[in-house]
Amino acid sequence: MPNIDRRDFLKLVGAGGVSVGAGFMLREANKDATEYLIPHVVAPEDFSSGLATWYNSVCSMCPAGCGISVRTREGLAKKIEGNPAHPVNQGGLCSLGQAGLQVLYNPDRLTGPLKQTSARGSGSFEQITWDEGLDQLGSRLDLLRAARRGNRVAMLTQGVRGHLAQLFDNFMRQLGSQRLLHYDFNHPHTLYAANQRFFGQDRLPYYDLHNTRMLLSFGADYLTNWISPVHHSLGFGESRQGSSNERGRFIQIEPRMSASGAAADEWLAAKPGTEGILALALANHIVSEGNYAGADRADWAVALTDYTPAKAAEQTGIPQSTITRLADSFIDIQPSLAIGGGAAANHSNGVDTLMAVNVLNYLAGNIGQEGGLLLNPEPTSVVSQQQQASYSTLLEFAEAARQGEIDVLILNGSNPVFTLPQASEFREALASIPLVVSLSSFLDETTAMADLILPSHTYLESWGDDFPEPGMGFPVGAVSQPVVSPLYNTRATGDIILALARQMNVGTALPWENMEECIKDGWRQIYERGDAQTLAQGFDSFWTSVLRAGVWGETAAGDSEFTLDRSVISNIGVQAPEFSGSEEDFPFILHPYLSPNFYDGRGANLPWMQERPDPMTSVVYGSWVEMNPSTAKELDLIEGDLVDIQSLHGTVRAPVYLYPAIMPNVVAMPIGQGHQEFGRYAKDRGVNPIEILSPEIEPITGQLASSATRVNIVPTGRRSKLVKTSGTSRDLGREIVQFADVNGVELSSAGSNSIPITEVTA
Amino acid sequence: MNVSIVPSLKKLRPVAMLVIVVLLGLVLGYWANAAFLPGTSPEQPIAFSHRIHAGENEIPCMYCHTQARLSPSAGVPSVSKCVGCHLEIATERPQIRRLMSYWDNQEPIPWVKVHDLPDFVHFTHKRHVLAEVECQTCHGPVETMDRIRLTSRAADGTAQANHPWEMGQCLSCHRENEVENGTDCWTCHK
Repeated sequence: MPNIDRRDFLKLVGAGGVSVGAGFMLREANKDATEYLIPHVVAPEDFSSGLATWYNSVCSMCPAGCGISVRTREGLAKKIEGNPAHPVNQGGLCSLGQAGLQVLYNPDRLTGPLKQTSARGSGSFEQITWDEGLDQLGSRLDLLRAARRGNRVAMLTQGVRGHLAQLFDNFMRQLGSQRLLHYDFNHPHTLYAANQRFFGQDRLPYYDLHNTRMLLSFGADYLTNWISPVHHSLGFGESRQGSSNERGRFIQIEPRMSASGAAADEWLAAKPGTEGILALALANHIVSEGNYAGADRADWAVALTDYTPAKAAEQTGIPQSTITRLADSFIDIQPSLAIGGGAAANHSNGVDTLMAVNVLNYLAGNIGQEGGLLLNPEPTSVVSQQQQASYSTLLEFAEAARQGEIDVLILNGSNPVFTLPQASEFREALASIPLVVSLSSFLDETTAMADLILPSHTYLESWGDDFPEPGMGFPVGAVSQPVVSPLYNTRATGDIILALARQMNVGTALPWENMEECIKDGWRQIYERGDAQTLAQGFDSFWTSVLRAGVWGETAAGDSEFTLDRSVISNIGVQAPEFSGSEEDFPFILHPYLSPNFYDGRGANLPWMQERPDPMTSVVYGSWVEMNPSTAKELDLIEGDLVDIQSLHGTVRAPVYLYPAIMPNVVAMPIGQGHQEFGRYAKDRGVNPIEILSPEIEPITGQLASSATRVNIVPTGRRSKLVKTSGTSRDLGREIVQFADVNGVELSSAGSNSIPITEVTA
Repeated sequence: MNVSIVPSLKKLRPVAMLVIVVLLGLVLGYWANAAFLPGTSPEQPIAFSHRIHAGENEIPCMYCHTQARLSPSAGVPSVSKCVGCHLEIATERPQIRRLMSYWDNQEPIPWVKVHDLPDFVHFTHKRHVLAEVECQTCHGPVETMDRIRLTSRAADGTAQANHPWEMGQCLSCHRENEVENGTDCWTCHK
């Protein structure tokens, strides 16, 4: 034993003691944090911990009205899928629909009522209570109503259907206001007008892509955003690879290849705005070849004389041989179907173009035929198709605001500051309205200009219902039920309206306690119209079964017989499109298209959609301008060069993307980015091409002719790297793409470095 | 020249002793904590006794843990379930009064979790209950415990107190019972 003196011993004992303590604490610090098992106070009936509960509801991300099934666990929504029972989407769901969860859980949601505290647009808001907010708006409305000045109140909502639309209607009528405006940027006004004129019906027919063997699409990007993309995708798959032995043929005519164009068998680029002329040339060939045997054959021959294939070849840039070949196969391959939409419908001749498309369907005998176009029956339900406001209507409204005719504007979900061109001066017009109230769930560009924000629930938290338009050849309805309890201090849009009605003492006309009651009451009427079997089960069990299935359908069918009004024939004709800006100063036609990710911009605040590469270019996050490589060569531009896109009405700046499948005199830009507000994911990202659109309109409907703007491209000398997932769009001898001609002779992919396109002289 | 390292080693001796004492101290402190405060039977907000409920009164496990046969998690009974019986039974005891104060305030009881598996293990009660595995196989003799204690199953099949579940223990049971795909990684790690 070594010698240790007392002092050293004490030191060692001290050190030992401290280290025992340190060891003790070391173990203590390494212990797992205590976890708790928090039980319910009272167990809810409809869920068990650890088990998923699925609720059927309705998607509200776009106007298609797909049915959804939402998987919830412990009372929280976890996943959105398509409802297999819903005839529109039959279990399918697009990415935007799936991203609905990020609407619900978005960190930028408005969590309670707010009041603007200083100048509009300054972004300084203070929190208020619901009572204060409702009181401020309700007392104002009550005063105006009492003074019989209700028409000084306007409501601008995104397209709403079902009983909520009826509630809005009713509410505005009680107020004495005719200023209820439904507005969606992408609403197909021209399609409604063309069908109204041709079929005499103010509703869309059902386009039977499932059974068609030959689809001619004039600009309609039916796989991405035309009317009901999920349903059309199902139809496309069925027609291509379904039960029939004959593979459906798809032909797409558009100046810039969309996702539908990429999926087509043949892609043709007609000069922008001449699609209708092309359709009439096809019709001319059908009639002149004696392939139409109807009694009104002679009338058609007269009406179509000016539209010979030879003449149309000159006007459209599509070779005469192609025109006659298309016309022949449209008759030979049955059933066939022609559809029109997208850019083709957004020109100054939009309605005439879509009328021309209907002519093709008429001559080929596709109307009322399986695989053609089925007329929908008159909606038997109480809930009719809402009247959408066109661009001109909004301009009139803005003018009324400037004239001081509007005292209160109530906004619901619509974001016109973003979806109207700057030339409309809508934002400026808002300044003339003393009280702007927004019911939006997010601080979008228009809501930022509001004095008072009464935020709504998201669609996953509210009661609602929807009657998809077009119907499926029979009426379809679906109830939207809350799948989670409200996350924040928000209220259902319907409940806000009902509360205002009570405040205005018009509660007798709107007697419901809340939206759930209103919907249930409305569905009681649907139930009462039902057949004996429906009535036998009693309303409660009918209601439960509708909620459980998430959808309800009636068996009524539309007229299969259709007689064309003779006056239609003589009025057929398509004028050349008008563009704003001279060809010398603005040599390119701007082709703005709805982004597959963001729809009209409403999806831009969802990180999933921001991260999803664009299907055609694989670009993520930003904006870009697509141009043909030959155009870029002329302008001495390469990918990533920043250019100014100038129109008569403004300039935006975006990087160039070389896109082989676009006409040389057309440049394309996706719509959806370029938000100045709308939360952290959307804000200050990319540019909004709607801003620079010319206020050219389609004269019949007053719809904005959004494809009628000419632009100039001015290089800035600066560059920015495009964020995209694909390396090069060229094959570079890798033989990734194999080519085979129609006779089955294999062609080498070598040398086919870009997609051949129809050359057009600008 | 005669060189020795002994003198310099002698100088180091106090330092060496200090190091040894400190290390021993650390180990001792660490062990003492592990041995005397294992944290495997934490105190609960209410001194609920499984011995009285499951042992003496022979209430079946799934009377309260109703979801064990339906769901991945066995579930903790809601406060209303406890109150359902205790509105009538033993109402004067202090622990029951405590229960009733939670009920009166409509507050949940924050039970401390004892049995836990890492998040990368997808264990489901449903499968095991449907395969008629006794609850005690994994949870030990719960019916004898006044306060629940972390227990797992030793290699010889006996209950092993204060020891968390490890993969080997799952596997040995899966092997013994020839569970279909019972040793497949993806059965538990999805």
